Amino acid sequence: MTPLERRSRLLLRAYPAWYRRERAGEMLDTLLEASPPGRSWPTLRDTRALVLGGLRVRGVAWCLSMLWAGLGAAGAGYDFILSTHVPEAAYIGLPSWVGEPTLIFLAGDLGAMAWLLLTVPVLVAGLVRLRRTDWTVSWPVAWVAGLVLAFPVADWQPSAPAVYACSKGQGCALTGYRYPVVSWGELAVFAGWLALGAAMTLILARPVRRRRLPDASRRSSQEAGGP
Amino acid sequence: MREPTYFVLASLLDGPLHGYAILRRTEELSGGRVRLATGTLYTALDRLTAEGYVELAREEIVNGRARRSYGLTSSGAGALRAEASRMAEVARLVTEPGRRVKMGGIARKTSPA
Repeated sequence: MTPLERRSRLLLRAYPAWYRRERAGEMLDTLLEASPPGRSWPTLRDTRALVLGGLRVRGVAWCLSMLWAGLGAAGAGYDFILSTHVPEAAYIGLPSWVGEPTLIFLAGDLGAMAWLLLTVPVLVAGLVRLRRTDWTVSWPVAWVAGLVLAFPVADWQPSAPAVYACSKGQGCALTGYRYPVVSWGELAVFAGWLALGAAMTLILARPVRRRRLPDASRRSSQEAGGP
Repeated sequence: MREPTYFVLASLLDGPLHGYAILRRTEELSGGRVRLATGTLYTALDRLTAEGYVELAREEIVNGRARRSYGLTSSGAGALRAEASRMAEVARLVTEPGRRVKMGGIARKTSPA
């Protein structure tokens, strides 16, 4: 397998598995034939077209919920780092730390806002996408689970022995914890988000019934039944 | 009908073609203007198949992989012809000035006065 073929195969993973089973070989052939000789990377145009094409096949509901789960997981990870590495955050409970670049803080705020605003569109898009399937009920359940997971974090702190540095006349200041603080709450939420994201991927990666790929057997049966 | 769609359908006028052949034929027919990326081509083929303009014509095994050829359906050929005559009609407004006067209807519609 040439490097170009290997990288092209990787790119084709932008498409869902059911689509790849039908089409990947054919698309790979076209991609390789259309690539200028001697290239070891797919062109930028091809890369963009494949990623956009893959997202289009996956559908709006998939893109929205991946964005939602991704933001949630990133937020949980961010909180996790804060509470384990920034002792002040555990006290004042703010999602920021001293000397934090404004850009990160801003991105965190916007991400949290986007996550909150996305909840309703995600629920609606998923319900539309999965309506009249076996998964109709599982969708709101996953949605509620995702929301519930986000809340119990803050109060679920472990008790780690704190280390104080004391100096004469100036009192004591917290300098850190004796061992890395693992907030089980955050860890659980983070793991929960990953599991939920995986579940959403599996549910939404299934083919939409109305959109079928061309199928030779179907066509011949139509012809046989025709006049 | 958008230009790439038009050229993809036109590339199938002389018979079914497989993916790469469609890419080359489209580029050739459009004088190099329409250069489709592989991903764009298959998105278009999916859509045109769903609309019933294009169908799977042949499937053969080349080097152990399926090579599929796509062909125009009669409704695809009809849509292509309709688009071609619409464009010819529109072109005549410019290329045949005398027609503008005779076919006042079309000319009036395009000018607000």
